[in-house]
Amino acid sequence: MLTGIRILDLSREPGFLAGKILGDLGADVIKLEPPGGDRAGRRGPYLGGGRPGDPERSLPWLALNTSKRGITLDLAAPRGRELFRALAARADVVLETAAPGELDALGIGHASLCEALPRLVWCALTPFGQTGPWARHRAGDLVSVALGGNAFLTGDPDRPPVRCTLPTAFLHAGPEAATGIAMALYARERSGRGQLVDVSMHETQLSTLVTGAGQPATGRPRARTGARLGRTREIWRALDGDVTFGLRGGPARIPNLIATVEYMAEHGMAPEWLRKYDWRAYNHNTVSDEEIARLEAAFGAFFATRSRRELYQRAIEHRIMLAPCNDARAVLEQPQLRFRELFTTLEYPELGASIEHPDFFAKASRCRVGIRRRAPRIGEHNAEVYGELGIGAAELARLSAQGVI
Amino acid sequence: VAADGAIFDGLHVLELGAGAAGPVATRYFADHGATVVRVESARRPDFLRLIHLKPGDPHGLDGSHMFVLMNPNKKSVSIDLSKPEGIALVKRLVAWADVVSENFSPKAMAAWGLDYESLRAIRPDLVMVSSCLFGQTGPERMYPGFGGQGSALAGFNHLTGWPDRAGVGPHGTITDSLSPRYVALMICAALLHRRRTGEGQYIDVSQVETGVYSLSEAIVRCSATGEVMTRAGNRAENAAPHGIYPCRGEERWIAIAVSCDEEWRALARALRAGDLAAEPRFATHAQRLAHADALDAALAERTRGEEPFALMERLQAAGVEAGVVQTIQDLQRDPQLAHRGHFQTLRHSALGELRFEHYGIRCADGPPRLLTPGPNLGEHNREILCEVLGEEPATLDDLVARGVLA
Repeated sequence: MLTGIRILDLSREPGFLAGKILGDLGADVIKLEPPGGDRAGRRGPYLGGGRPGDPERSLPWLALNTSKRGITLDLAAPRGRELFRALAARADVVLETAAPGELDALGIGHASLCEALPRLVWCALTPFGQTGPWARHRAGDLVSVALGGNAFLTGDPDRPPVRCTLPTAFLHAGPEAATGIAMALYARERSGRGQLVDVSMHETQLSTLVTGAGQPATGRPRARTGARLGRTREIWRALDGDVTFGLRGGPARIPNLIATVEYMAEHGMAPEWLRKYDWRAYNHNTVSDEEIARLEAAFGAFFATRSRRELYQRAIEHRIMLAPCNDARAVLEQPQLRFRELFTTLEYPELGASIEHPDFFAKASRCRVGIRRRAPRIGEHNAEVYGELGIGAAELARLSAQGVI
Repeated sequence: VAADGAIFDGLHVLELGAGAAGPVATRYFADHGATVVRVESARRPDFLRLIHLKPGDPHGLDGSHMFVLMNPNKKSVSIDLSKPEGIALVKRLVAWADVVSENFSPKAMAAWGLDYESLRAIRPDLVMVSSCLFGQTGPERMYPGFGGQGSALAGFNHLTGWPDRAGVGPHGTITDSLSPRYVALMICAALLHRRRTGEGQYIDVSQVETGVYSLSEAIVRCSATGEVMTRAGNRAENAAPHGIYPCRGEERWIAIAVSCDEEWRALARALRAGDLAAEPRFATHAQRLAHADALDAALAERTRGEEPFALMERLQAAGVEAGVVQTIQDLQRDPQLAHRGHFQTLRHSALGELRFEHYGIRCADGPPRLLTPGPNLGEHNREILCEVLGEEPATLDDLVARGVLA
């Protein structure tokens, strides 16, 4: 879909996904790292068998840098900056996650280059945005989900707020930045001009509150509710793990409550009062605490006797709104995802590994979208990319010896 | 591009569906100048229009804060899709549309004769996107879940919470906020393709798959080594301390993340905790990881008496990643959000002044604009039918009388 669009990707971890998405959609994404690779940006775990900390074995790196070509360049060296300007002149988009002002201090930021390169789209993805009182503050995932309001409402009421163990702030910011880039490319089609796309991870977090921050807020802050949603239980213990199921009423949900009770009855686990229950009169907002406790005890006792897979199979067949809390292995085995061929296997011969990745998921009727190549090795495409600038093997060797590449 | 830089000036988007995921995606276009028309009906109202509504609410379907806040800059036409004349009206709007975005369950659009093949016959270069929980194909496509199930199925619940407790998932059914970003991106990428080639196309997005793709790291780790990642509270493999610690006041917390020894020393200095910095078991990154429980307990003792915002500023000044765990009330007076102009007040006919929000993107030459609150049901029937479809006002009255516009 984005064939012919060239993206110079200087980003560190918060921006890995944005570049990957654009690459998976067909753009030519050139990932730029310091000579030797961005060691701090390539975290563990590392694929076993090698020395610990070998950046080429970083699994998070391999996961989030597909469909990119890889080059190295020292932006602190004057010749490195010169080469960067030449690369930017041939690019449609620069994607970067540097602190605001950092690249301009080197003479290679948006302000330094936009006049000479008026068609260039420049996406700066930062914790807070390019300006403002917190623009120079630092924030990774944990600090971002804290300041953005999501953490306060996530977790159990008797413990501190909690985050997702994978960085959701980056997972939201990636597609947000990619969308901003696509919008600016669309604008360029009409105006002929590129522009700065200033993406704030902090601001991006607020939409996870689903208009919560816009609603009138009165009195005490809302509390974390853990495994419950409002008054009723949402996460239940099954035989071999957890499932989600809402004990909530209303016309859209009544048939699924009835279907669940029938299922329980088949296994002799629906007491008579439950088999005769008037779900039309049930309102989870107004029903008494005792009644909720009685219902939860009956449903909970049943779920605890069945496996996640069995419960989910029944849910699919009888339209029950119950779902397993899948781990990665269960996700890899999910028949629906297999049917749609979500996963693709990439080969890593030098690591002796072949690894399944979730491919780009959307099905587009006219364009082939999806992972086009594995994440690059460090400087894997130096000769290719610098060759396009007219730099031959001899000069490349010289630049490499000087530590520029 | 319009004089004011509006990126999607002149673009026409038709939206069918309900709930959050669809409307959030089309707002990227509405906020940047596109005309976005929602097709909806009182006969089968969007459940978002009913959310938190008390029985007998005088504003009826126009009284839901969540609906109004989620659908600014859009227009609403009320068309009963159970009537053939209603379907005929929608088809005429498709001829006008560049983009159709729908998020019904699979089969619904086809049952109305509004599937992509039918609509493409009307508008050959149409970009159409369908988004639903599991996508348009496959054995589980009719499974009746919402975002809460999507989050669990994709793996977010398993990865969020405390290792000794049930996995809870990030607040707010994360697939509902993740997938709209991808839907907007796919529409925009398809529009770019159309500008180059003249071709429209159909795009099928599964919310669960956006979640699984987002969690690529967990899948790759499992496939490569057999590791099944699980929730680790607030711990991280590459940082210690990495946690959320109590501050002065009820439910006041601060998040602190330290990824190297230099930052650890800076943290100890800023907390005036020289004794902590001197403790050998906390001296190196590896030791802090190994003694993470003791480290968290010791740190909590130092943060407990601190005012959270003052502590955040002190730690940030020292070069340490730190941030208050903000409540909704904090966000409403957040100085950085104020600087970005994140909130903007608009007046709604029934609900009065409401605080609308922007997304995270600012295009320098084409900033987003919030002009009108989410529409009342059918608010733009006359405007769209007369101005877009060229109907006479008398015809409109007739369509209302016969329940086609309802």
